[in-house]
Amino acid sequence: MNPSPRLAIGIWFAFTLICISIIAGATFTADLSAFLPRSPAPAQQVLVEQLRNGVVSRLVLIGIEGDTPPALAQTSKRLAQQLRRQADFTSINNGENTGAQKDREFLWRNRYLLSAAVVPDHFSVASLRKMLEENLQLLGSPASAMLQRILPNDPTRELLGLIEQLAGQSRPEMRHGVWFSRNGDRALLVAQTRAAGFDIDAQEHALDLIRSNFSTATGNSAATGQKLLLTGPGVFAVSSRENIKGDAWRFSLIATALVAALLLALYRSPKILLLGLLPVASGALAGVAAVSLGFGSVHGITLAFGATLIGEGVDYAIYLFTRITPGETSRSTLTRIWPTLRLGVLTSICGFGVMLFADFPGLAQLGLFSITGLIVAAAVTRWILPAMLPPGFVALEDSGIAARLSALVSRAPAWRMPLIILSVCALLFLALRQEPLWNDNLGSLSPVPLSEQNLDGQLRGDIGAPDVRYLIVAIADTQESALAASEKISTALNALVQQGALQGFDSPAAYLPSLAAQRSRQAAIPSPADLGNNLRQALRDLPYRPDLFAPFLADAETAQKQPLLDRNSLQQTSLALKLDSLLIKRSDGWAAMLPLRGVNDSDAVQREIALLKITTVVLLDLKRDSEQLFQTFRHEMVTYSLAGAAAIGLLLLASLRSLRRVLDILAPLSAAVIITAAILVLSVGKLSLFHLIGLLLVVAVGSNYALFFDRQATSAQDLGRTLMSLLFANWCAVIGFGVLAFSQVPLLYAIGSAVGIGAILSLAFSAILIARARNESHDSS
Amino acid sequence: MRCLPAALLTIVLGLLSGNVAAQIVSAEWGIVQLMQSLGQVKSARGKFVERKYLAILSTPLEFSGTLIYTAPDRLEKHILLPKPETLVLEQDRFTISNPTLQQSRTLTLTDYPVVQAFVESIRSTLAGDLHTLTRFYHTNLEGNPSRWRLSLTPSEPAMQDVVRLIHISGSTNRIDRIEIIETQGDRSVMVITGIAP
Repeated sequence: MNPSPRLAIGIWFAFTLICISIIAGATFTADLSAFLPRSPAPAQQVLVEQLRNGVVSRLVLIGIEGDTPPALAQTSKRLAQQLRRQADFTSINNGENTGAQKDREFLWRNRYLLSAAVVPDHFSVASLRKMLEENLQLLGSPASAMLQRILPNDPTRELLGLIEQLAGQSRPEMRHGVWFSRNGDRALLVAQTRAAGFDIDAQEHALDLIRSNFSTATGNSAATGQKLLLTGPGVFAVSSRENIKGDAWRFSLIATALVAALLLALYRSPKILLLGLLPVASGALAGVAAVSLGFGSVHGITLAFGATLIGEGVDYAIYLFTRITPGETSRSTLTRIWPTLRLGVLTSICGFGVMLFADFPGLAQLGLFSITGLIVAAAVTRWILPAMLPPGFVALEDSGIAARLSALVSRAPAWRMPLIILSVCALLFLALRQEPLWNDNLGSLSPVPLSEQNLDGQLRGDIGAPDVRYLIVAIADTQESALAASEKISTALNALVQQGALQGFDSPAAYLPSLAAQRSRQAAIPSPADLGNNLRQALRDLPYRPDLFAPFLADAETAQKQPLLDRNSLQQTSLALKLDSLLIKRSDGWAAMLPLRGVNDSDAVQREIALLKITTVVLLDLKRDSEQLFQTFRHEMVTYSLAGAAAIGLLLLASLRSLRRVLDILAPLSAAVIITAAILVLSVGKLSLFHLIGLLLVVAVGSNYALFFDRQATSAQDLGRTLMSLLFANWCAVIGFGVLAFSQVPLLYAIGSAVGIGAILSLAFSAILIARARNESHDSS
Repeated sequence: MRCLPAALLTIVLGLLSGNVAAQIVSAEWGIVQLMQSLGQVKSARGKFVERKYLAILSTPLEFSGTLIYTAPDRLEKHILLPKPETLVLEQDRFTISNPTLQQSRTLTLTDYPVVQAFVESIRSTLAGDLHTLTRFYHTNLEGNPSRWRLSLTPSEPAMQDVVRLIHISGSTNRIDRIEIIETQGDRSVMVITGIAP
């Protein structure tokens, strides 16, 4: 059990070198989706893929505000013009008519292939007659000038139908020739980057380009007061990486500095300080190496979480150093406290281990990191530190602090009743609260700060891209079958629009019909002789000039023989972009997405979709689905947490062999968890999943304090030393977790604040409840 | 004399149009005064007959119905013949309802500059809103308060492509004739009768 010191140090040294070499080859990421739940359903998987690298992920929404509308419009035009020359962007749209001409040409040339109205009966005498009569009426409207230009080629108004269908999507207001927010405060642009949203370096470069071009476009933005607002998935990814990177360094450094200062004040020796940090440093290296091996890459948030390891792992050295009494060797001290320390480490592992099972890849990383770190820190404390401590080392001469602490603790049991009452009140408060306790919004898990989420919501509202809530996803093996499925769905949806179940929808088949549909439309055009005949009969007694519709007959004949459209036909039009966002190539097939607008009766939509008998069609209600997903994860986490707590209880029972003592130890921890939860609810309103994990860690960290309190002290001096070691260990934990409470990243913030508060309470409550319990057991024995 | 520059402008325009005598007689009367008197009308209603002479048709189209104006920015055109159709303009919303086609569409005028220029020629004149009118058109006024003709030529190229000239004629604060001459030679004449407050 006790290898020779030299061997131990040799093993440690080799181990540390291996860890460092693993870390040197590790990749570090800041991928936001690591902290989104893994999605089980294939249709939702399509969405997650889209969020990672689809067209949606490439959009940057740009707002310019802080000046008069004409000045803002001018900046918008200049900025758009400059950015269009940059290779980083595939498109810059600010409402100026730059792409519309090409779009219209495409629609015009291919109107008979694109129009769903072209069915076999469409060019019959009766149908043509009806159209021609309607045209006469339409010619009375203010649009007659435009209508006159197209009617000779297009008496059945296919172009107008197509334009109307595409114009159904809501668009931003136009002012001074560019897009504006409804109230006119903000000029709006939408940029699409060439690089995918997860390519954070490329996104950062694109954003820098926007910023620098903005300053040249305004000349001097400080003078005009014009402000640039940016949002979108790429913006989030870049700023989160900045935040996470900043937080990881800042908080680890601050925590290290504070803990080091505390240890230096305690031991007054730089050498002992370094020895005290040795277990933590070894643990952190091992943790990062383990994550790199286990997950292939290390997330920035995992590094930031290192701060907490400092808070917890430094405790082990403190327990050892502080407890060495004069005349005792470090080795014998260790033998004395090791059983308690080992139990403490094991309970902590039970707590942190729960994170391993989480369905968030990011949380699982934190779990593996912490567990490995704690085991290595404890092992280094057990086998390396004693060998390195100078013989005759005594960290603390007897001081007044220990005596005063002992006096304080001896009075602590007086607070027993008030604490019990407070705990019951907190429990009642949590149980009887009217509002839901949990925040089931996926946004609460997002590493994106709330202020940026709000800006995103505002700009999205301005641009008229309302949050898509309902979406139909059809998955197919080939592009053709995905489009054919879209057409079937569109037919059903059109009927539902007529019934008022929804207002409208968008479909990839509107931009690129399936080959089958294009062929059937060509087949629906009668032969030139028949069409000419039908037209002649339909025109009888109508006041159109003779031979006015000759161009129509020629166009129809051309359309019958024109090559069918494919994806490439849309090149150079803004419709290509639209199609790319609705028709997606996946690793094993194709997905068509049909976003719905103004859904009044989602049940009816669901029913009709089910009747279509296409196997892989799903109606997604993003709001409901994401909330359900979240609830499932929360239930899972609650189950895991309870299992973790039960494991801690069983572990305690197995080593202490006394139900009474286990309950004594769990009592202050339960009180700490309940009161911490109440404080969190009072301060932030609703708890997130991360708070739940924080509460579990309160048990994991706090159990150490309770265990040492529970251990019978051999003497008054020993009690004083125990109390000192606990107090300093506690401060280190509060520092390690507490600094995270200042983080911008919700995960770090939530866990940091929960454990920071909980750790202090655990120590105080252990003093109040366990000291009393121990006194009683003294009395009775 | 707040309106002196406008009056001077009127005289200059009058000189250019060669109608010197009439302008000198009523030097005090000009587009500003006309607009003011039109602006005082709070509501009006009348019957209209509109004839459209279109190049693609061999005979003119004829529409008739009722016009209702409510100051400052609501204009309704109820076409009764040959088939009912209602056009309602309110602020910058333009709604076309067609009971036969069972269609109702609402446009935001700012999205359709040409349509906006069209409707503002009539609405701004009815409202006496010279500012909006001059945003879209160069104006020229001939005649006197009891018989006048306002000529509008579009200032925006997009509108110039479509419309060459609009003549709005009336007496005192009543409009009784609107003639639109389109660039491609088409023409429409709307005669309004019985406009009454």
